[in-house]
Amino acid sequence: MSAAVIDAGVRVSNVSKSFGADGSRVTVLDDVSLTIGMGEFVSVIGPSGCGKSTLLKVVAGLIDADGGTVQIDGSTVRAAAADKRIGLVPQSPALLPWRTVLDNVRLPLTVNRRADAGRAIRDPKELLASFGLGHAMQKYPGQLSGGMQQRAAIARAFVFDPAIMLMDEPFSALDEMNRDQQRLGLLDFWQSNRKAVLFVTHSVPEAIMLSDRIVVMAAHPGRIDRIIDVDLPRPRTEEAYASDEFRELERVVRTALHEVMGGAHV
Amino acid sequence: MSETSTIDATASMAAAELADRRSRRDAPSARRAPAWLRPRVWLPTAITFAVAAFLWQFVAITNPYVIPTLDAIGASLAGDPAMYWANFLVTLQEVVIGAASGIVAGFLLAVVMAEFRLIERAVMPLVVVVMVTPIVAIAPALVVAFGFGMMPKYIVTALVVFFPMLVNSLAGLRDVDVKALDVFRTLHASKWEIFRDLRFPGCMPYVFAGLRIALPLAVVGAAVAEFVAAGQQAGLGSLVTTSAAQANLPVTWASIALLCVMGVLLVSLLAVVRKRVLWWSDGEVVAR
Repeated sequence: MSAAVIDAGVRVSNVSKSFGADGSRVTVLDDVSLTIGMGEFVSVIGPSGCGKSTLLKVVAGLIDADGGTVQIDGSTVRAAAADKRIGLVPQSPALLPWRTVLDNVRLPLTVNRRADAGRAIRDPKELLASFGLGHAMQKYPGQLSGGMQQRAAIARAFVFDPAIMLMDEPFSALDEMNRDQQRLGLLDFWQSNRKAVLFVTHSVPEAIMLSDRIVVMAAHPGRIDRIIDVDLPRPRTEEAYASDEFRELERVVRTALHEVMGGAHV
Repeated sequence: MSETSTIDATASMAAAELADRRSRRDAPSARRAPAWLRPRVWLPTAITFAVAAFLWQFVAITNPYVIPTLDAIGASLAGDPAMYWANFLVTLQEVVIGAASGIVAGFLLAVVMAEFRLIERAVMPLVVVVMVTPIVAIAPALVVAFGFGMMPKYIVTALVVFFPMLVNSLAGLRDVDVKALDVFRTLHASKWEIFRDLRFPGCMPYVFAGLRIALPLAVVGAAVAEFVAAGQQAGLGSLVTTSAAQANLPVTWASIALLCVMGVLLVSLLAVVRKRVLWWSDGEVVAR
């Protein structure tokens, strides 16, 4: 096959972005470069104001960068979006309250249908069943718990088989016990549906548990400080939390965050 | 605690939460015993109306030239139901046609303004100028322009409905769930698809808030237009002015009562439709 395979995944090159008026411009992203390979799970972690959400929005094409380029499978973000190659899971589930869970998950299949030609659309019902929502398909979002809503939002992003998946702190609104359950559910699903994932989080255990690599960002200006490889064996289960390697990684990531935040307590 | 029991506990918590939510809002076909059947609900209202009726009768009997008694009003209605019905229908026709035009026009302009800021900036000042002009002042001028037929009544009614519909629809179209919009944008959904699947259903709480204001105003508009220009087809508003001029108080108040009934019917109908369409909405949007 062609160049598309060689360039598969996400390539962020020298991206910069600042906000505000001339006098008080804030550099949110300063020369950020990052690649995410096919089927690779990359988390971005850092203090607030480090631009991790802005980075995700630039990759999603929701914000234009001031400088630098983003390529998805070798094409521009705009072309990738037009081709429905980007799956987004926002911070809140953002389900449409007037549609059933099933119709919410079908939503991506009803817009921009031109891009559906010749692609492997998933059966929304099967997908919901594999997310443990088989019994809730005909319910409305308002009848679901927060965790179930977030799972429906993830199913909505997987249904059209995008090449890359962007997740912006998808579990941050859930309580800790529920959050851990959702995490393991996502891990389990991703294990058999490998996508390139860019996952923004502020939870250290979450980043370690899910990722192949953890990008630690620093603030003012927002930049990549270091990238930590996570070489825990896959598939990972809950037992991984208890392993010595996990604890060691947790120490490494926390130390990195500690240094990034100028010695402030993490 | 072992791992499996943790997960079980979480699962059963989720199930309990689900059951709880289900009982709170069983959409879309929730059926419980209607609340108005319970005395706690209807009795206070009934007492208020009884007291008001008693006070009315007291004033009417002691001051016969100020207001007529309730039985005189009732007798007038019963004496010539065909006349009242004909006039009721004339006014209702003005309200329905006028309001429908105003609602559609107000919503469509809101859609255009929501998509193109430039149009809002260009047109909104003119709309505000027209709207601060008292409608009772515009009505006679419209009669000069359009004669004594139904047209000036439609226009006046449409005018008073137009503004609340425009302002509320515009607010609703703008108040879109930004995170959901992000999802649509990453899917490269067209403007039309975003309107069809997100903005249009999403703005309905605001549209209904606008309708709640607009429909009673429509009755006001039709009545005012009839005050100014009776025309061949009278209507309840004309009936009020002509009978008041002849000091025929039972007819005046019977007509007022029918205008009131019309307003109540329209608002009740709206409430029924709202419940069917907007069952998913958490609460009433405060109208502008």
